[in-house]
Amino acid sequence: MIRKKILLLGDFSVGKTSLIRRYVDNSFDDSYLTTIGVKISQKRLELEGISCELLIWDIEGATPTRSIPHSYFKGASGAIFVCDVNRSETIESLNEHINTFLMLNHEAKHVIAYNKADLLSTPQKEELFLPANAFLTSAKLDSNVERLFTTLAKEVLL
Amino acid sequence: MRTLQVILNTILSKNIFEYLLVDRALRVTSASYGIEKYLGSMPQEGDDVLDYLPELVGSEEEVKTIFLKKFCLYSLESVYKNDYYVNITVEYCDENTAIILLHNITANTLSKQKVLQYSNESTLLYSTLQKVVDNQNALLFVTNSEKIEFANKKFMHYFGAETIEQVRKKELNLYQNLDKKLKNYDELFELTNDKEEHIRIGSDTFIVQATLIESIYKLFTLTKVTTLSNEAMRDSLTGAYRKSYFNSKFEMMVAESTMCVLVVMDLDDFKQVNDHYGHQVGDRVLQEFARLIEKNIRKGDMFVRWGGEEFLLVLQHTSLADAKVKVERIRQKIASYVFPEVGHLTASFGMVALQDEEDADSIFFRADKALYQAKATGKNCIVVKED
Repeated sequence: MIRKKILLLGDFSVGKTSLIRRYVDNSFDDSYLTTIGVKISQKRLELEGISCELLIWDIEGATPTRSIPHSYFKGASGAIFVCDVNRSETIESLNEHINTFLMLNHEAKHVIAYNKADLLSTPQKEELFLPANAFLTSAKLDSNVERLFTTLAKEVLL
Repeated sequence: MRTLQVILNTILSKNIFEYLLVDRALRVTSASYGIEKYLGSMPQEGDDVLDYLPELVGSEEEVKTIFLKKFCLYSLESVYKNDYYVNITVEYCDENTAIILLHNITANTLSKQKVLQYSNESTLLYSTLQKVVDNQNALLFVTNSEKIEFANKKFMHYFGAETIEQVRKKELNLYQNLDKKLKNYDELFELTNDKEEHIRIGSDTFIVQATLIESIYKLFTLTKVTTLSNEAMRDSLTGAYRKSYFNSKFEMMVAESTMCVLVVMDLDDFKQVNDHYGHQVGDRVLQEFARLIEKNIRKGDMFVRWGGEEFLLVLQHTSLADAKVKVERIRQKIASYVFPEVGHLTASFGMVALQDEEDADSIFFRADKALYQAKATGKNCIVVKED
């Protein structure tokens, strides 16, 4: 079976763990527990007749005082960059995360999750301008989560 | 190989390390018994190590180079495995074997996680509070020793600073922007503590108010009023100042005993204009009347619509005698002016100067009395009350 390593990267408290929980276990917990280090979850799926297993790396969020060890990035086929759509600073730091990752993984694919969309009002959502490879997601409401992961999986596999 | 096993068993007895031995194809050849707690099941000889350590997926080639380079070390820190945190390292053992060590760092990592959790929650809270503070009016925190401790985004933006250091260097001594001889923030605090003071900085007017925080900090709040409330300050029909705006300004002038003359004026027989020509014409008369007055006063004088056809004029830094000359000129201008649709109209005036230690009620009472007298003595005249 094909196995692909994909990472979830972004600032702390943007909802990386919640997105994985929603995708892998279809569950959601509102309480915030900081991720430290890395935890790997496995998800099997079949895309256009190809069976594969995604190894999803839930990596601790970047903070002003703790940077992410680059050893986590090695061998990744793709990454999901996550920001909290309600915290502008997490959106602003996306580029830094993306550049660092692509510098170490030239061939890797990526998508972006503008997460916590459930906290936005309808007019706010309408005014939002997202890049082509970005999704407005909500782990809480299970909005666009499957699409987010499947899009990256297709990019990586097909 | 036996020696290696002895060394490993010694280390393993400390319950800190567990190991897997793998061949060149990354198939398990041996494992310590304690490794099951990390992997969930016991690996058997010949098993693919990636089934137990998916953390190595994507790095297979890097791991295999260990057999070529013989010294290469692969490591991953703080990996969550089955309720434990481990560091994973892969090292060369012999030409057909590599050793994968799992170093238990759970206790240490959980302690770090507690600190990180606290730190992240504090950062989130601080960030939220910062946004709240930045969205308020311009704020300046000054310590008892006159040190500027904090200025929010609005304050810095207004004064063209990007950092607090720049604010300090710029020496934005607010107290010097007041039209007073204030020497320091202590004196500014005394002046503005729990009350509002208008200050002009450049072309803008601010209301500045001070609050004491925990006996250590003085918080100065600056609310920009010029552009924001220009419409709110003015009467929409005549463009004169509104009564509400005048009240706050005049209270301050009285409190500071500013030298000024208060003139109360009223268009004579205006009710007949309304009755005869209608309210629309009446409104146009009031507009013309206000325009005539504005044309004949200084920029610093304050012209106010008090209500209906009654208006106020405050002439600052003027003696009663000089003010009378000016008001007489206004009276004549009005009397000689031909109001469209209506013709000639006149106005009556009562005027008084602010006396030492006089309050607002008293000066209004005297000015009203003077106007009443002007009306009673035939209108189209000025009555000056000297006491």
